[in-house]
Amino acid sequence: MNTPLLAGRPAVPRRAPGAVNSFRGQHRRRLLTADLLTVFFWATLALAVALWLADGGAAGFSTLAGSFTALGITAGLAGMDLVLCMLLLAARVPVVDRTMGHDRALEVHRKLGKPALYLLLAHGVLIAIGYGMAEGLDPVSELVALWVLVPDMWLAVVAIGLFIAVVVTSLVAVRRRFPYEFWYAVHLLTYAAVLAALPHQFSVGALFAEGTWQRLYWLALCIATGAALLYCRVAQPLLATFRHQLTVSRVVPVAPGVVSIEMSGLHLDRLAGSGGRFFIWRFLAPGLWWHPHPFSLSAEPVTFDAGGRGSLRVTVRNLGRGSAQLASLRRGTKVAVEGPYGLFSTAARSRNQVVMIGAGIGITPLRALLESTPFQPGNATVILRGHGEAELYLGTEILELCRRRGATLFHLTGSRPAGVQTWLPESASRAGHRLASYAPQVADADVYICGPAAWARSVIHDARTAGVREDQLHCERFDW
Amino acid sequence: MRARAAVSAALASAGILLAGWQAGVRVEDTGSGAVGTLSGTDGTAGSRTTGSGTTGSAAKAAGTYAGAVVQTRFGAVQVQITVKAGAITDVTALQLTDAERKSIQISNRAAPLLRAEVLKAQSSKVQTISGATVTSAAYLTSLQAALDAANL
Repeated sequence: MNTPLLAGRPAVPRRAPGAVNSFRGQHRRRLLTADLLTVFFWATLALAVALWLADGGAAGFSTLAGSFTALGITAGLAGMDLVLCMLLLAARVPVVDRTMGHDRALEVHRKLGKPALYLLLAHGVLIAIGYGMAEGLDPVSELVALWVLVPDMWLAVVAIGLFIAVVVTSLVAVRRRFPYEFWYAVHLLTYAAVLAALPHQFSVGALFAEGTWQRLYWLALCIATGAALLYCRVAQPLLATFRHQLTVSRVVPVAPGVVSIEMSGLHLDRLAGSGGRFFIWRFLAPGLWWHPHPFSLSAEPVTFDAGGRGSLRVTVRNLGRGSAQLASLRRGTKVAVEGPYGLFSTAARSRNQVVMIGAGIGITPLRALLESTPFQPGNATVILRGHGEAELYLGTEILELCRRRGATLFHLTGSRPAGVQTWLPESASRAGHRLASYAPQVADADVYICGPAAWARSVIHDARTAGVREDQLHCERFDW
Repeated sequence: MRARAAVSAALASAGILLAGWQAGVRVEDTGSGAVGTLSGTDGTAGSRTTGSGTTGSAAKAAGTYAGAVVQTRFGAVQVQITVKAGAITDVTALQLTDAERKSIQISNRAAPLLRAEVLKAQSSKVQTISGATVTSAAYLTSLQAALDAANL
């Protein structure tokens, strides 16, 4: 089963083997930025606590009540800092997207959710205990007193309630029970929660009293986060939509249930190299406009003239109610667009060799990547996986590209063996094949993986076993 | 997390925390005891201490009136007003929140602002000072008791 469908031309090394890696510089820069972002994250957290220490906050530890209050304040500061970092991670800030990729950023965002909530809850509880002890009240009466007597405090309590709702609806078990739109609507409440939580920090929190530089720092942090969100999530999409003026030009059936949507627009030269990356599309037709679709380009943008007039293509499969309607899109439908996002592009390359593995509809972004990412003939392997040949979408285009560029191509079809955790079809799995059987050079290659989550996990596991390191793995998830 | 990122992040965070802590210690050494308790009297309700007017229905007598002592988690607050011809001519703080250095700092900032506002408004219905909410609330409560005592 591992005879290639199309063998790459034998590599004709223009340089000696082990020659200069042309992606080394880009890779090092990206890792450096990633490390800087990590340091920045921890530094803001430390700074939140340090500002409080600098204000003499540690003096509170002299009494028991003061200790509770001091811990409560620290928890609140750290919690708010985490919330701001989470907002920035989800804001699709270009430097974050270029460095860690959209889905890695969201993964970190998800990881921070529970710690942030726990810190905010601890903040409320510890403050109520600390204040209550100082005034001789039990925590519950203290909480009631704070709610009634201190301005802005009821807003803070409402904010905590909203944060709980947002985190609970995002738990995987809960999230599965509700439609995406419900989760999205509740998630939007995060903004309300943050806005409701802000007043008490500045009016009641003595740390941020007027005239202190702690107040300035915290204000700057909040304003910068708000500005980043407004720019990246509101202004940039509007700019991109007006700049590119995309309209649907053609809907082409590719296979049963799969269509390619072609769109024409302006200034598409600016999107060169974004083949394989994804955009959020909104087709401005009745009943469709409010539904955002994350689809990857399945081909490099094509430009017809120097003005950047040209066309784009996405290839999609009927997944949900939203995507089913896409097959009947009318020609001329206007399209709003956000993006490009993600690291499924040449920007993620770190090696001269490249291995691309796609399953089902996940094959389509690979098609675009295969078209544009640089490699010498013989340095690329493409592995397509599907139940049958009919599910190797865009297979003919990929065959043609592999032939032209000198990439090795494998078609792996058939169902998985029962009870075995593998990404391979039964025959290949029984023959003992692994990723390295198809791509012997995989340990020194960038590995691009796109397909269903469980399948992708198996591929990643196989790749790691073959000696592929974390920074060589580039995976695009297809379930949100 | 990569080792380089982990080490740099740990060092940076430790440095920042250490600097913050050092700055905090210095503030405590130099800034303590800026304002002490002015007087330790505790009145349960507003009490008239001096003045020529008679109490009761006669009202609006000139003199000084001390407000109630209001306990807060940052210490006790009590103010005294001076009344002349039915108008508040001065507000003095007999006690201000002083539980820790921070409270003293806040009291020092809030008291003059509150005094100015009260003199301008001639009542306790003034805005609280942001960042000194507790002090302000206690200050105004004690003030109201003093106003009641003065029948203003």
